[in-house]
Amino acid sequence: MSRGSGQDRAAADRRATLLGRAAARLWSSRVLALTGVAGLLFSFLSLLYGVVSVTGGQAPFLALVAATALVAVPVSRRLRVRTVAWLALSLLVGGLVVYLLSLPETPTPGPLVASALELLTGRSVYRIRQTELWVLTVTPGPVFLTVYLALREWYASAVAAGGLMLGFLVLTGDAEATIALLGVVSGAAAIGFGDFARTADTTTPGTETRGAEAGVDQGRRTLLMELAGMVVVSQAVDLFPTGEATPLSLTGGGDRTVEASLLTADSELEVLGSISLSPEVRFTVEAPVTTYWRVGSYDFYTGDGWVRDGNERPYSSRLSSPPGPTATVTQAYTVESELSVMPAAWRPVSVGESAAPVTRVTEAGGLQPATAFGDGDTYTVTSEVPRPDATRLASAGTDYPDRVVRRYTQLPADTPDRVAERTARLTAEAENPYETARTVEAWLEENRAYSLSVDRPEGNIADAFLFEMEQGYCTYYATTMTTMLRTQGVPARLTVGYTPGEPAGGNRRVVRGYDSHAWVEVYFPDTGWVRFDPTPAAPRREAEQQRLSQARANEEENVEPDRTPTPTTASPDETNGSDDTTADTPTVTVGVDVDDLRPETPTPEGSGGGFELPDPPSREELLLGLVVVAGAAAGLRQTGLSRRVSLWARDRFGDDADPETDIERAFTRLELALEDEHRAREPGETVRAYLEAIDAGPRPRRLAAIRERARYRGEVTDDLAAEARTLLADIRQTPAGDSEADGEDGQ
Amino acid sequence: MTDTDTDTEHDAEQGDGPGPTAGRGIEEASAVVAEVVENVERVIVGHHEEVEHIMTGLLGRGHILLEDVPGVGKTMLARAVAESFDGTFKRVQFTPDLLPSDVTGVNVYNQKTNDFEFRPGPIFGNVVLGDEINRAPPKTQSALLEAMEEEQVTVDGETHTVPDPFTVIATQNTVEGDRAYDLPLAEVDRFMKKLHLGYPEEDEEAELLGRVVGHHPIEDLGAVTTLADLSAARKTAASVTVASQVREYATRLAGYTREHAAIGVSPRGSIALLRAAQGRAVLDGRDYVIPDDVQTEAEVVLAHRIRADADHTGQGLVADALERVPVE
Repeated sequence: MSRGSGQDRAAADRRATLLGRAAARLWSSRVLALTGVAGLLFSFLSLLYGVVSVTGGQAPFLALVAATALVAVPVSRRLRVRTVAWLALSLLVGGLVVYLLSLPETPTPGPLVASALELLTGRSVYRIRQTELWVLTVTPGPVFLTVYLALREWYASAVAAGGLMLGFLVLTGDAEATIALLGVVSGAAAIGFGDFARTADTTTPGTETRGAEAGVDQGRRTLLMELAGMVVVSQAVDLFPTGEATPLSLTGGGDRTVEASLLTADSELEVLGSISLSPEVRFTVEAPVTTYWRVGSYDFYTGDGWVRDGNERPYSSRLSSPPGPTATVTQAYTVESELSVMPAAWRPVSVGESAAPVTRVTEAGGLQPATAFGDGDTYTVTSEVPRPDATRLASAGTDYPDRVVRRYTQLPADTPDRVAERTARLTAEAENPYETARTVEAWLEENRAYSLSVDRPEGNIADAFLFEMEQGYCTYYATTMTTMLRTQGVPARLTVGYTPGEPAGGNRRVVRGYDSHAWVEVYFPDTGWVRFDPTPAAPRREAEQQRLSQARANEEENVEPDRTPTPTTASPDETNGSDDTTADTPTVTVGVDVDDLRPETPTPEGSGGGFELPDPPSREELLLGLVVVAGAAAGLRQTGLSRRVSLWARDRFGDDADPETDIERAFTRLELALEDEHRAREPGETVRAYLEAIDAGPRPRRLAAIRERARYRGEVTDDLAAEARTLLADIRQTPAGDSEADGEDGQ
Repeated sequence: MTDTDTDTEHDAEQGDGPGPTAGRGIEEASAVVAEVVENVERVIVGHHEEVEHIMTGLLGRGHILLEDVPGVGKTMLARAVAESFDGTFKRVQFTPDLLPSDVTGVNVYNQKTNDFEFRPGPIFGNVVLGDEINRAPPKTQSALLEAMEEEQVTVDGETHTVPDPFTVIATQNTVEGDRAYDLPLAEVDRFMKKLHLGYPEEDEEAELLGRVVGHHPIEDLGAVTTLADLSAARKTAASVTVASQVREYATRLAGYTREHAAIGVSPRGSIALLRAAQGRAVLDGRDYVIPDDVQTEAEVVLAHRIRADADHTGQGLVADALERVPVE
């Protein structure tokens, strides 16, 4: 009998060993640490991939990354760290040199340092000239070093190498929060698990890992839980809106105002989800005509946002006026609250003396204050507003300068073809770019509803707005129209600024936060940039008025301009007809719809968002979710819940086993009971030592003795198994204070 | 006794089931050990653990190396153990000028028979005490070590078998570093255990002085058991059950040391560990080995076989292994 059961046991052991070995391999510190490094690599490589995919260089990028990693693997066995450090450094420096040499004009050191500093303070890598080439030359160094160091088990250094790259991308502002979080969590995992792998775990690949020590095991579980905590806490913190913090895409849109999303002096424009309105007065302007008060334009479309390229220079003398017929318009602005931008009618040619010293001129011809204007500041701007008629625009032709074509017909390489196809179908009748623009503008106005409650789509904004979404606000309209025009080879750019605002007597107009707006400028040879506005105006005016009366009723601050008599409530219609450029398009001073008033005053008519299914999670969210799940599992394991559940299931549904298994099971349950009452048995602690240490009673000792003889002597009988079960039942009935009770009746 | 090898296989096969006749044998063997321990402790004060270790080593057919500073009673302990048996006890004092033939013996010309006849050296005893083994040059050391490993001695091409049972208890000083020939790892490996005695506790030393001043009790120490009993006890120990879980545990311990040291424990070391554990089981009156036995024996059996790196000693590494390698 003992021989037979011995064979069964051996077979069972072998099975358990195989399973355990497979699990142990996955669970080994080294694998976990390498997974962390992989996560870190993924985080910054996916960012860089996003960058190159805008310009269409995915294939060479992926090939380069794969080749670098492949080279690093054999090298990690041969070369010494010092050699490799030099190698990686020369890769990086060499890459940069190659990049600089292949620029059309090699920049001088001064601007180079300046732009490097700008990059580190939030200038997007998209603004680097020849971004794709830059990415290709800069990527191999860090990738190589990270892979090499990770394989050499220098995890901290590997994380430092990869983290430097990720950190750079965070500083340039290209790393969104989710992916930065993924990188950070991965890095922490790599260092933490790597530490275990270096100190305690079996590190030689292929050796049996069953000797992995439970102390380390517990450490790893704790670390997993901590990582999960990092994710959960950072997400939880984000649930509380704080000012203008960038919302994590994990939790959907925040409550930013349209203005904040559009009119920062930033070089980037992020397309957000739901946003809200501010009725605060920004400035008043006195001008003979009403037009849009333009702030700036964006030329580089990344698929999910816009980037502004080029440098600014100080305003020194009169700027060139646009070709073609123009009207000279002088505007006097009085700033009513802090303003970091400098609105002016397109196209500004001169700035009044008071503001001239602090004025900077962007490459695109816009104005920008060197420092923000404060409440009460004034400035005057003279603009030459283009006044082309439709005939002139229609006959402008397509003889665009190369510079304009290169810069303003750019599209992300991953823009789906269907955008171009649909645009081509829509504009099949159009005979010239002007008609194309008009058609697209009209189509968007008629076919998309206006709403501030938007679930920000994943991927290409224009594609989503064109094919999937039914409503959106100005940023979506303008982005989509620009993209559509660019697919047809028409140079266009996204422009932001303020709509004319509310008349306040005479030539004065009051411009409020909600007047901020995004529209489109299209380039026509011999005329320059001409404004188009695809956002429908009708629903907005009502909402705008509502928001204002509501704000007044609630006596909100800064709703009235300081230095003018309270204006009479203006008829919304007055703001209409402010169109001066594309006279026959129904362009309106689109402020913003007021559906969404949550941040300021919840109202019954607020929150028109409706219920929609949440978007499927992105890859990064999935990975982070995986960390959370793993952490939760580790936590469960820590509490012993999973073991209990499986034991309970075996009790409940398991079949009757042979006496040996019976004894072993009874003993396992005894250990659990003792664990509850005292502590768990340490990995290297024998049962006898354990029972001694916790001063166990006679019944647990007897059960342990039965098990000991069964296990190490092969002494198994049905009677012993029955006794073991009985003992266990007794022990379970007196769980607490069990040793005392035993002491009484046992001796 | 040339049947060591077959004996080894025997106990390997014996592994799984309980030894059918073990019960009675265990009691007897256990009694033999207890008698010897009691006898030795008439002379030796303290060092109870070391005495037990020597006994389990004897049961496991191992040789013992005692290492410490001079004067802590190494030789006295070895003598006391040896004197407890009624077999032959030989003592070799190793010195720098000791020759191999001084250990093994020589062929001398007998004028009566006109022939060479073998005159056995001190190695031919049941218990051999090799004193200060590290003071002799390697050539002489290896004569002793060959005898330990092979249980035979070759002189002028003739092979002479050493008596059965045959046990070497060697001592080694840790001082006099430059005048000593330290045993290389390969040779230390031949000893089943390496024990350190250490200084006695204060009260123990006082008692020791009381006992030995005047008439030394070792002079009165007599044999308390026979060689036949020792041989029988050894056979019993070899038949003690070693379950597969215990074998795997010993393997994992050895594996741990190999992964964490320049040179870890050899298979010879794991075999020695299990044999010592069998001896320990006998000492405890059990006919099966439990992990506790392995743990008790691990340090003295394994530590001296490990060439550790700068961060660890052999002892430290074994302690780590015991703490970290899970007992199943």
